[in-house]
Amino acid sequence: MEELDLLKKDWKRRENAFEQVSEPDIYKMIHKSSSSLVRWILIISIVELVFWTAIGMVAGTDEYLDGMDNEAFRIGLSVLTYVNYAVVIGFIYLFYRNYVQISTIADTRTLMKDILRTRRTVQYYVWYNLAMIGLSMAVGFVIAIVCSPQVAGLKDVITHDNWALTKTVALLFVVLCLSVGLVWVIYRLIYGTLMRRLLANYRELKKIDFD
Amino acid sequence: MSDELEQSFVKQLKQNQNIIHKICRLYTRGEDAHKDLFQEITIQLWKAYPKFRGDSKFSTWAYRVALNTAITLYRKSTRSVATQSFEAERTFIRQEDYNYEEEEQIKLLYQAVYQLNDIEKALVFMYLEDKDYAEISETLGITEVNARVKMNRIKGKLRKILNP
Repeated sequence: MEELDLLKKDWKRRENAFEQVSEPDIYKMIHKSSSSLVRWILIISIVELVFWTAIGMVAGTDEYLDGMDNEAFRIGLSVLTYVNYAVVIGFIYLFYRNYVQISTIADTRTLMKDILRTRRTVQYYVWYNLAMIGLSMAVGFVIAIVCSPQVAGLKDVITHDNWALTKTVALLFVVLCLSVGLVWVIYRLIYGTLMRRLLANYRELKKIDFD
Repeated sequence: MSDELEQSFVKQLKQNQNIIHKICRLYTRGEDAHKDLFQEITIQLWKAYPKFRGDSKFSTWAYRVALNTAITLYRKSTRSVATQSFEAERTFIRQEDYNYEEEEQIKLLYQAVYQLNDIEKALVFMYLEDKDYAEISETLGITEVNARVKMNRIKGKLRKILNP
């Protein structure tokens, strides 16, 4: 194709037209930190873990639970909390392993496959978090109604009035859905932005194979 | 020991830096984005350097890592959508055999190439660099036949952009 050859001619002519980067500048560069996609995924997931842990501490759920008279709920909920931490730490490990395993020496397709594995890990992580938020809210509501002294009045009303019970359950359900939905949107924004271009490139590369 | 490694890396990178600049030229627009991608590629090359065994040329190895970074790892910075870089870059070659018509066509060609997606740009890049299909297919991880098919389509696509 003559057009591309024309381009090639110009390309060659301008081969040495770049402002050269000096050795000291290269030294400086290699000591800076990367801003690569996979690194961002790792960083965001760690920030997130810290954030949720901090929220848990500030919210002081432990004291709230201590005030309750139901031992079974209290134990159940703290077990749930620890299981949650274990799972999240497991995810962080997976993110880190993906991060380390991804190698730019591989061919582009293999590299993309590896990165997309990271993406899948992220997706599982998001689904797990959403499920966990939903579950702990539902459990929280039940505990509050069954044994918190603050809502004893409400409990009295709904045990005798079916309509009030329905309304309460519906309201709590809506609150739960809205919360989970909100978190889902936030996740979509954060990880969606990170992964969109990569996914497009991978599809492009795969397309060649099956055409 | 790591100092020695650093020294040899910096030296080789300096000698081969035009490879990176050329990739930056295709994948970014504007000076800031160019520098950004240049830095990210340098970091990725440095990270991969301990695994570079010297059984291939530094340049061949650098092509792969640099392209991979541009296509997969690099996040385009949104702050630089400047288009003036093309003009600025061109002015100083104008003295030698300046042909207005050809110059205009080249300008259009670059603009067309900028509209291609990342994978297509990679193929164009390797074509411009006189890489054969064996190397193109190996770098991208696709078969040689597919690389040829893809290249033909890109040519068609470019032609279409140029003559709508």
